[in-house]
Amino acid sequence: MNLKSKRDGARKEGPIRCIFFCEFHHTAGPMISCQVPENYISKELFDSISVYIITKAELQRSVITVTLHDYKILGFPVRIDDKDKYVRNAFHFNLCFVCDSDARTVQFETVVMKFSEYLVAREMESNFLSEGKVNKKLAPILTQVKNELNNKGECALIEGATTTHLKVCTIRLDPTPVMDHQVPIFIRELPEQQWDLTTQQVTPFIDGFNHVAKIAVLSDVENNLVKACVQNLVYYGVVALIPLFQYGNVYCTTPKLKMMVQDIDLQQKCLNYVAKNPRQLPAIRDVFRMYAAMTRGTTIRDLCVRFNPSNLRINERKLVQFGVLEGIIRRVQKYPVIVAEYSDLHKSLSGAASLDELCCSIGVASQQLEDQLERDNNVMLLWK
Amino acid sequence: MEVSPLCIILVKSDSKGDRLLFRYPFQTQHNNEPSSTRRKNPYTLPVVDDLLQSPNQPYSNINKENLTGFTDEVLSSLFAVKTELCNRKFELKVNDVRFVSHPTLLQLRNKQEKEDESGMLINIVFALQALASHSVVKCYHDLSKRMGIVLKYEEKRCGYVSEQTQLMTTAHDDGYTNGPSSAFKIILEKCSLANNIKKMYDDLCTTGLVNLRINRWIPLSFCLPQKVHQWHMRGKIVEPEDIDRCLSALRPYHSLLLLHPLHQKNDFTSLDGSPSLDRMLTQYSPLKNLQTLAADSDLTLTHVFELTAHLVYWAKATVIFPICSTNKYVISPNAPIHLNSPLVEKFSDTFPGLNLIRVISEFSLPTSLGQKCNPLCHPSQQSQLVQTIIWLLQHHLLLQLHTYIQYMPTDNGPLLNKGDHTKKLLTSPSPRSSTVMLNYQPNVTTERTESESGASTVSETPEIPLTKNIILENASFTSAEDDKQDYQEELLLDFPDEERTSIFKIPATNTPEDLKLFAKLCRKEYFQGNQHVEEIMYIENLRRSQLLQLLDKFRDVLITYETEDPAIAMFSCSS
Repeated sequence: MNLKSKRDGARKEGPIRCIFFCEFHHTAGPMISCQVPENYISKELFDSISVYIITKAELQRSVITVTLHDYKILGFPVRIDDKDKYVRNAFHFNLCFVCDSDARTVQFETVVMKFSEYLVAREMESNFLSEGKVNKKLAPILTQVKNELNNKGECALIEGATTTHLKVCTIRLDPTPVMDHQVPIFIRELPEQQWDLTTQQVTPFIDGFNHVAKIAVLSDVENNLVKACVQNLVYYGVVALIPLFQYGNVYCTTPKLKMMVQDIDLQQKCLNYVAKNPRQLPAIRDVFRMYAAMTRGTTIRDLCVRFNPSNLRINERKLVQFGVLEGIIRRVQKYPVIVAEYSDLHKSLSGAASLDELCCSIGVASQQLEDQLERDNNVMLLWK
Repeated sequence: MEVSPLCIILVKSDSKGDRLLFRYPFQTQHNNEPSSTRRKNPYTLPVVDDLLQSPNQPYSNINKENLTGFTDEVLSSLFAVKTELCNRKFELKVNDVRFVSHPTLLQLRNKQEKEDESGMLINIVFALQALASHSVVKCYHDLSKRMGIVLKYEEKRCGYVSEQTQLMTTAHDDGYTNGPSSAFKIILEKCSLANNIKKMYDDLCTTGLVNLRINRWIPLSFCLPQKVHQWHMRGKIVEPEDIDRCLSALRPYHSLLLLHPLHQKNDFTSLDGSPSLDRMLTQYSPLKNLQTLAADSDLTLTHVFELTAHLVYWAKATVIFPICSTNKYVISPNAPIHLNSPLVEKFSDTFPGLNLIRVISEFSLPTSLGQKCNPLCHPSQQSQLVQTIIWLLQHHLLLQLHTYIQYMPTDNGPLLNKGDHTKKLLTSPSPRSSTVMLNYQPNVTTERTESESGASTVSETPEIPLTKNIILENASFTSAEDDKQDYQEELLLDFPDEERTSIFKIPATNTPEDLKLFAKLCRKEYFQGNQHVEEIMYIENLRRSQLLQLLDKFRDVLITYETEDPAIAMFSCSS
């Protein structure tokens, strides 16, 4: 997951460098009639790529992105047919955004489409584009859009009584489905806005310790609705999903543990997070020792007996939470697999479902289930 | 994310205009169920609010993994690029399809020599899904570029391109009456270039390994790493950068693990005619590290690294820490082990009588090879054990744990004055310190007797008797206690006061060898969690027992933890 976000980061979301409006002139052919800032795209360059900007009929109303050596040009070619109004029976135009060639531009696609639709509407109503002096009329609008989208990510075009809103929406990956046994936890403040009723009802129970099925019971909301709501919050990066905390859980360290010492900011964040009392911060040595002692085969209960975290001013539940959220530690799940030849348990104990999942689906305490499985010689517990 | 191409398109443009010569696949499946996806429920009410919204939804040009919605004319006009855009990367995204290519200008070999500057543009375009990542696009661009170079050369050598394009154009002109699809069929029968394109498409879609011989003359090999690693790591996309990162972390103590049995090596030595690869493979063993492998096959280490990089990139091998009795293994976090997994059957085919689940369950807790072998074991059992571990590693089911060490002298961790640290490190062998060394050497014997009862000294340097003789001659016999203070202060002079006091609370600091080794390793920053025990052993030429004893003696300031080596673990778990 971390790798992935890093890789996406490599293709950053760059600003809009230039916006230009081009049209098919009835005598001069394809030409740029308005450009902000001026002469960003040279005439020669435009001529070499005009086939992708003023396109053939079949490519009308498609989002087209051309990546050149230095620029990336994003456009949405449009044609308005009107035999009476136009010399060539139709008016072709395209409004293009120009970005750096290594920037991501997917998030601008809908903006370009909507902006073009806005221009189409104005052209059809008042010949805004075709009656001349396009440059003078359009330049202030393009400047406004470019500046506001770059600075605020949104922009409102007001024309008389109507307002057109343009907003850049970041495209994120689809969130994975939420499972019953997972625990949602806020990783940033819930943005202040009018959330839907389900979310309003569910969020008070998201405390980082209740799992989804429990939240459904506590909030008296149907299970699938809770899942949908949590998934939505995950999509917006407000909530992260972590495994259920139990004293019988086993965790193991990841290579990221060394960052606890090397990264002072992370260290401070951690100490503040895991402190039992915010006024008395624990020592990093104790925190590190506890993390380092998390190995396969050592439960949190064992660690508590060995270290007595409350004496060390550490809240062990918060310790685990922080470790999992930052990727310093990882939960080691147990997967029961049945090795007997014929058994009606083949389906549930196939090794695909972890102990947590099983407990949640059949509603048994994990200790009880584990004890029972351990007594059975035909069941292997795989830790991974 | 799907990395296979949707379509490969061949476009030419010359003085006679542009033309789409061939595309593959060209069979358009006739939809028997017309636009079933768009069929609406007749009972739905039109949503009134949506009338204000723009009615057109983003349009898709992909239908069941096929490119749709473009006529050949449109495609040819798009890819017959202007000369300004030639011989460089071309990337165009239309709706949800991304086209990538390297338009190549070639000089036609004219038999009649009537047109002097008859240049032709040839463009091999790959249509990909727009979601394809930057690195996938880069790889396809590279393939298109290579193809362009090959065609340019072949045209120069024997006019291959003119001949093939002529054939294709004729087929198009003749077959026009029967529809374009039939023309493509004829082209596929007649033209070797079209056949090559078909084979390229099929290879890219199945294995990701392309092995062509253009015009039965020039070999073209290409590997799409994002695809080719799928066969041994299903569902995980391996990016070229990941491989680069792994290879840059390659050390001489690592070892190569082939993913195929050695007798199949002919399959992949053909990719590279290098005889050194052959030589290396004859000496190959997963128990050898790269350094030994280099020595045995009489190659330089750097060359062995290059060969390893090659094999890893082409998904023929992976990198592991050589299998030895002290290696600790656990089940890899994403190991696809369940009853319905095909691996279960594959395992019992390879090792009759063994059950994958039972074998791997022994690795639920960190287990070393040494623990699993008991002295009563029959040698054949032991070799089978090694074989099973190799098999499990080849299938990325096991993960090796290494011990890392973190220096933690005080409650607040190490004081971070790294700049100071390194400066001291560089100037450490000053003449002053060497005299100190001489001073403290004499009381080695006394210290020894003291420590005999407790822990033994860590470093049993064989030179001691020898140097002692020399030193005894000119040693100044001051009080032993003063001396001890002196050398301790000197040794840790570059450590902050606070750290020094906590280090001196450890009894082992009374043993000069221990303290010396500790100070040395600490100064070289081995205790920052960046190097695992095996690496420290390798670089410093220490024995495991030496290092482990030191860690134990200094456990108050050194915290150890076990985790995977991030450099080589990328193949076993996607973190």
